[in-house]
Amino acid sequence: MDSFNAITAAIFLPFIFAGLVPVMEKLLKQRVGWFAVATALTCFILIGIAAPDVIGEGHIVQGTISWMPSAGVDFTIYADGLAMMIGFIASGIGVLIMSYSNGYMSKTEDLKRYYQYLLLFMGSMIGMVFSGNTIQLFIFWELTSITSFMLIGYWRHKPESIYGATKSLLITASGGLAMLAGFLLLGNITGSFDLAAILNDPQVINAIKEHELFLITLILIFIGAAAKSAQGPFYIWLPNAMEAPTPVSAFLHSATMVKAGIYLVARIHPIFSGTEAWFILVSGTGIITMLVAGFLAFRQTDIKGILAYSTISQLAYMMTMYGYTTHHEPGIGVAAATFHLLNHATFKACLFLVAGIVAHEAATRDIRKLGGLRREMPITFIIACIAGLAMAGIPPLNGFLSKEMFYESSLEMGASLGGIFTFLIPAFAVLGGVFTFAYSIKLIDGIFLGERDKDAIPHHIHEPPMTMLIPPAFLAFLVILFGVIPSIPIHHIIEPAVSGILLETAHLHIKLWHGFTASLMMTIVTFILGILIYTKYDRIAAWQDNFNMKNPWISINYYYDRAVDSAKGNAFRFSSRSQTGSIKLYMSAMLLLMIALIAIPAAILATNIVPSQLNFDIPPYEAILLVLLIVAALSAAILPKYLPAIIALSALGYGVSLLFIYLKAPDLALTQVLVETLSTIIFLLAITKIPQKYKEKISFSVFTRDILIAITVAASVFVLLLNTTQGIVDPFASLSHYFIDNSLLLAGGHNIVNVIIVDFRGYDTLGEIAVMCLAALGVYNLIHSRSEE
Amino acid sequence: MTTIITKTITKICIPLVILFSISLLLAGHNNPGGGFIGGVMFASVIAFAYVVFGLRYIKTFFNPDWAKWFGFGLTLASLTAFSAMMFGHNFFRSAVEFVHLPLFGEIELVSAGLFDIGVYFVVIGSLLFIFKNVGDDNE
Repeated sequence: MDSFNAITAAIFLPFIFAGLVPVMEKLLKQRVGWFAVATALTCFILIGIAAPDVIGEGHIVQGTISWMPSAGVDFTIYADGLAMMIGFIASGIGVLIMSYSNGYMSKTEDLKRYYQYLLLFMGSMIGMVFSGNTIQLFIFWELTSITSFMLIGYWRHKPESIYGATKSLLITASGGLAMLAGFLLLGNITGSFDLAAILNDPQVINAIKEHELFLITLILIFIGAAAKSAQGPFYIWLPNAMEAPTPVSAFLHSATMVKAGIYLVARIHPIFSGTEAWFILVSGTGIITMLVAGFLAFRQTDIKGILAYSTISQLAYMMTMYGYTTHHEPGIGVAAATFHLLNHATFKACLFLVAGIVAHEAATRDIRKLGGLRREMPITFIIACIAGLAMAGIPPLNGFLSKEMFYESSLEMGASLGGIFTFLIPAFAVLGGVFTFAYSIKLIDGIFLGERDKDAIPHHIHEPPMTMLIPPAFLAFLVILFGVIPSIPIHHIIEPAVSGILLETAHLHIKLWHGFTASLMMTIVTFILGILIYTKYDRIAAWQDNFNMKNPWISINYYYDRAVDSAKGNAFRFSSRSQTGSIKLYMSAMLLLMIALIAIPAAILATNIVPSQLNFDIPPYEAILLVLLIVAALSAAILPKYLPAIIALSALGYGVSLLFIYLKAPDLALTQVLVETLSTIIFLLAITKIPQKYKEKISFSVFTRDILIAITVAASVFVLLLNTTQGIVDPFASLSHYFIDNSLLLAGGHNIVNVIIVDFRGYDTLGEIAVMCLAALGVYNLIHSRSEE
Repeated sequence: MTTIITKTITKICIPLVILFSISLLLAGHNNPGGGFIGGVMFASVIAFAYVVFGLRYIKTFFNPDWAKWFGFGLTLASLTAFSAMMFGHNFFRSAVEFVHLPLFGEIELVSAGLFDIGVYFVVIGSLLFIFKNVGDDNE
């Protein structure tokens, strides 16, 4: 199998297999999770097939399948080192998460739905990173948002899950729409949606940088990235997303989906970097988010809440590093950011899995109640220490290395800016590191060290089953491996990825020990300050709580809630005014609109309203029928009881069908008779349940108004029909001739009406029958939702 | 409406009308008829039987899930539309084939006929689904 086919298969396999999950659930029962594991593993191997090409040879695997050529959009694969890295993370962590879920999810849960969503998400994520054109990228991007929405709201009975799911969808999906606008602008500037066409052509990139729409395009795309990666003001969705099952949080909201924004920033790095706007926007947002989120982590009491804020802050590290750029050296922090991306995926997913184990065994995630679990869960304790210390940046773990690189690149960026920034940027970096150090230690200390609180968690706690222990243990192993022998990930993952971002072959040299450098000094300062801050940890948290209580307006959530609440209120007010439920009101609104659209323009435009050469040559039987029709119509309008009125109405309908027969339209006549019969049956059924007489008393003014509307509408339709049928307006004759001439020739049918329905206008019919099905389901829902109240 | 006369007539009419609706469906391509008309005819005779004999009584021995009927119809119609794409043609391209069978003589097979059968099932299913649910509603 060649690389292109392998990657295409890896994208679509999860989608197809997600459809097979219900079948497999019948076969495997509660072990259906292992089917999902096998799918993820297959995807990992399929991506691995492309690895020798991309990582070994340094090629970029590209390929195209024609999709919408008229719109200039094809299904395109663009697999460089960066895409491979995130593809490996998505499928690899997917394997671990789905294995873990087999132990975590209770057997009574709706496992089918859970694994389907997980697989759909994984497919969307893989599809997103390998997308070679921006429209395709956008589609997969929004698919990850939608699957994330489904997974956050997995426990549908909990209002918090619904709130969190809605929030994440509103923020990430609307960010995605901004990104789409940015992509369309980019397409407008370059004339192509193809990423490779832009990335491979330096002239195009220069043209973008000099274009007047450069800044707005960058801002729009960056809004998408920031919303997805919970940066800047958009961070508020991630803490609420913690309502998802913990394996989902580990997978989507720490290791993969939230990295999509970072991935996008890396992907557009060659196009936009090297400019001041890039540095200010990306690094600026990153630094502010890093400090604010790191600081806010202190007041969290839920261990998943701490992890959520730490994820926001760690993502901000990467954002900041990708933002470090100068005109001469566009990618100062790219290698560091990419390495940190990989490391963060390992240690943070591991910490989430540990949090899941603790919550599963202790039945609480409140860090104030937890403590002293080290004796009962020694293995979990060791794993948590490895991952937590890696996050804090302790050598020889991988977090230490990428944090050193962060400090180095901060120093370099500060030096190239000069002035006050020489010190300011490294100082910000150290401050971010100090916060990280403090909450990392808090996690380990709060859960495992200290005294056991017998009252909060009375029962005996034990280690989880092996299915839940092996995945985090494997991640912890990677944390140590990447830290002690960094050359393995550097040469095989990071260098190809960095080459993909910088569009030139990169060589990196990273060692665990590299002498007493400035960055090592910064690390030591970080540890000292971190320990100092940790001693004041609870006091800071209490101060934050107090401050937030007094000033609720400081929180962005406050504005989000107000906006959503007022939107709901306004929508309700609007619909209660416009949709009163009175059919009479709807009817007159429709008729008045008809008058405005037909009668008034016709009266203004037409020279002679009634055509001069009218044909009064009517056969007598038609004349009699027409008189009968008028009588029936009048009776239906004025008869005082329902039953006679309905009979008059159906008499009118049957009369019309008779008219169709005179006019040689058997199909129409047949249809009219049948529909009339059916509707009469329904009417007769309905009137047995309501009073037999009209109750409503109609005042004289209302009556006059209604008569006026009715006569105006009738008159305008009458005039319109006169004009169209009496040869004044004759644009449609040729259309029916086409069908008469071609129905036998092209579609093999003599009945033109039927051929039009099923062949010439078959697309319309398909739409109509789909609407019929939806209408049937809608009626069902209306009836049943009403009876529930 | 539940007199002995209507009951007797309805009993005789049901098989005749159903047969006629099928003939309308199959004849539709060349003569008056088609899936929609046939479907409405089928639906109205069943609806009439519901009214005459009472929904509750009919449900004791004849209670199909009408939702499955329109589900099947929509699937069939969509598959017919998509199947042309598998042979490299455009969406909705129809095919005509004349087959000679003993006893029946020359028979025209049209892919649009399958589409029409889909329409037939959707019309029957959705109309009777609505009808039954409205009729079942006790409030």
